[in-house]
Amino acid sequence: MGTQVKDVIIKPDAPSSLLLDKHADYIAAYGSKKDDYEYTLSEYLRMSGIYWGLTVMDLMAQLPRMNRPEIVDFIKSCQHECGGLSASIGHDPHLLYTLSAVQILCLYDSVDALDVDKVVEYIKGLQQEDGSFAGDKWGEIDTRFSFCAVATLALLGKMDKINVDKAVEFILSCMNFDGGFGCRPGSESHAGQIYCCAGFLSLTGQLHQVNADLLGWWLCERQLPSGGLNGRPEKLPDVCYSWWVLASLKIIGRIHWIDKAKLRSFILACQDEETGGFADRPGDMVDPFHTLFGIAGLSLLGDEQIKPVNPVLCMPEDVLQRVRLQPDILS
Amino acid sequence: MAESEEEVDVLVQRVVKDITNAFKRNPNIDEIGVIPCPEARYNRSPIVLVENKLGVESWCVKFLLPYVHNKLLLYRQRKHWLEREALADITCTLLLLNPDFTTAWNVRKELLQCGVLNPEKDLYLGQLALTKFPKSPETWIHRRWVLQQILGQCSAADRSKKRQQGDAERGDAEQGGAERGDTERGDAERSQQLSEHLARTLHQEMKVCSDAACRYPSNYNAWSHRIWVLQHMGQGNVKVLHDELSSMRLWVSMHVSDHSGFHYRQFLLKALITELSQTPASTSSPQQRCSTAPSSSHLHHSQANGELSEGEAATDEEWQLSANTVLQLFHQEMELCSDLIQSFPGHETLWSHRRHVFYLWHHWRREQQQQKGSTNGESRSGVLSSNGDPAPPTLSAQSSAGGGGGVNGQGHAAQAMEVDGAPLPDPRDSKRLKTGVRPPSPPALPSEPSFVSGFLDGCCNPEQRRFALAYKKWLDTVIGQQP
Repeated sequence: MGTQVKDVIIKPDAPSSLLLDKHADYIAAYGSKKDDYEYTLSEYLRMSGIYWGLTVMDLMAQLPRMNRPEIVDFIKSCQHECGGLSASIGHDPHLLYTLSAVQILCLYDSVDALDVDKVVEYIKGLQQEDGSFAGDKWGEIDTRFSFCAVATLALLGKMDKINVDKAVEFILSCMNFDGGFGCRPGSESHAGQIYCCAGFLSLTGQLHQVNADLLGWWLCERQLPSGGLNGRPEKLPDVCYSWWVLASLKIIGRIHWIDKAKLRSFILACQDEETGGFADRPGDMVDPFHTLFGIAGLSLLGDEQIKPVNPVLCMPEDVLQRVRLQPDILS
Repeated sequence: MAESEEEVDVLVQRVVKDITNAFKRNPNIDEIGVIPCPEARYNRSPIVLVENKLGVESWCVKFLLPYVHNKLLLYRQRKHWLEREALADITCTLLLLNPDFTTAWNVRKELLQCGVLNPEKDLYLGQLALTKFPKSPETWIHRRWVLQQILGQCSAADRSKKRQQGDAERGDAEQGGAERGDTERGDAERSQQLSEHLARTLHQEMKVCSDAACRYPSNYNAWSHRIWVLQHMGQGNVKVLHDELSSMRLWVSMHVSDHSGFHYRQFLLKALITELSQTPASTSSPQQRCSTAPSSSHLHHSQANGELSEGEAATDEEWQLSANTVLQLFHQEMELCSDLIQSFPGHETLWSHRRHVFYLWHHWRREQQQQKGSTNGESRSGVLSSNGDPAPPTLSAQSSAGGGGGVNGQGHAAQAMEVDGAPLPDPRDSKRLKTGVRPPSPPALPSEPSFVSGFLDGCCNPEQRRFALAYKKWLDTVIGQQP
């Protein structure tokens, strides 16, 4: 008697080709229907939602379909006195949404819409003595926030404004015996946190501090028989974790260690043929979040219908070339 | 059903009030939930309180949430004024429906700072939200902030106590000691109260984490919160670490695929080993810590951390006792892991746990060797095997694969501890050492390659075989390549 492996079975009739037009239509229509209840439920992360939608549209070369002036105005009205940005109007500022806002403005080549000096001051003010970053003025510490801080500053070309050495020291203190990283020192390794830490070390030029073979080993063990990747042992595969694991492998130069063809068929099977968009797993409800990470994952796997994506910032490579940012990648 | 805007207004205000009243009527509500009910069927409140469970009929949520949501945002934009009590009620309703609305928690933080709310009340609100949304990151984040406030209050009280003591001692030379005696008694009581309060809070947090872990498997936020709590509220507290480790034993045995639960065990093990390795046995043995810990750990940090004060230098015997305790911990953990792997074949979590425990042991052993090399080798050789090398001993009968074995069988473990023909010392039995009786030879970990080969030879579960092979490869490359 065997224990059932936690995985999905991909049905023979699952989508196996990329339905780009459907996805573009899905995202273009998403913003227009503002059901009161649904809109309210997710407003606390609106800025990131816009980043997901616009980035995936840009990767599909469909960005012009989105309402640029409206979005730039919205972002401007989310900058607070302290310099930080909030998820939406009337919400409180946070590093998570400050990064999303700056990413969107880079897509639109309109970073000037913000008071950039104040953004930098805001981020600088959130660095703690031990090098870590608080997400906002209330002081929560997480390696995700370290990533948000350096990613935002790198996009703005202002990395020198913080204590990078100390920031690196903190990230390294979160490294575990398996080569992975958690949210704080002593926390369990987690694919999402690993992505943030690998991205952080790339942006700060410290990738040599990673034990790439050991971390690569752990990341490869995330691949399940279905081809999908999970974020931790004995969790179900998920399109978003497929991105975080895949991007981390790309950053540390070990992407060839997994079965790319199988991962591709898993991601393709997560498409909804009727509505467009990607779900976390085959047959589930689609959303813009998983749609971005599905498309971005396919891009990293080399799909030529999609623009090349940068594994560190999850943005189109051409946008990063425009802002002259080339994060390190191990070979 | 309410349709017009005014009707919705009236309805929602009534519902918010009903929720507030439900909490007044029953302060012991312990779970919230939505009752599937597409339409209002009777002319009665959609808030249902049955025993300690608070339910909201689903039809009203789509009116309720946008209403309280927009009210709060208008307040935040200074477009609409709300009294403090109304603010407390609205954020309560809002967060029970949508606990990841960060700004609503922030409003409550402000209310806490100006004393309108108290920390316990907010911990309680979070606890309820977690019964429906056990992962909610913002709820866990808010809890940590509230706990920091409680810790801050306690350490402020502790500091002022110390200052008063200092004043009293200086004043003592000039005046009589009568007044000082009174103050001291009052301080002692207050300090005791604070300690008990902290201990209760710590205990309550552990329970909140357990509940959330049971509601959602491998709940990263719940387990990383639990680690945070120990790091901030139980630092250096060996008693708490021991208690957690033993209470987790049953839990992990019943959740063999919960990687986060096992990681927590690894964290506990590592923390315990660190404490025991820094601390001589006389100050770290569990029963000695019982009297001072856990309540005073935070207030008397240096003491709880086991820093050595003068004249307290560890004797060799004490070091040996600590080392033996550590060895026994490792031994028990590997036995537990072997049992679980054999009883529940094909769980990646269990093999991952084995890697981590083995890794910890490997490093501890290396440190012991280095210490032995740098200090007097003779005096500490007792923790090592006769040739001074704590390498894994010969294969134990228990480590053969495929055998059944009780999951929690203490007897099983006890049996295994006599592998080398010598029973383990009870780590709590320090008397024997104190009276100079030489401790029996320490146990050692079963030989890992033999443990693995059992699964490669006769195992019919392909997953088990795959994990065993991966473990073997890990031993060969990751451990094998280390000095």
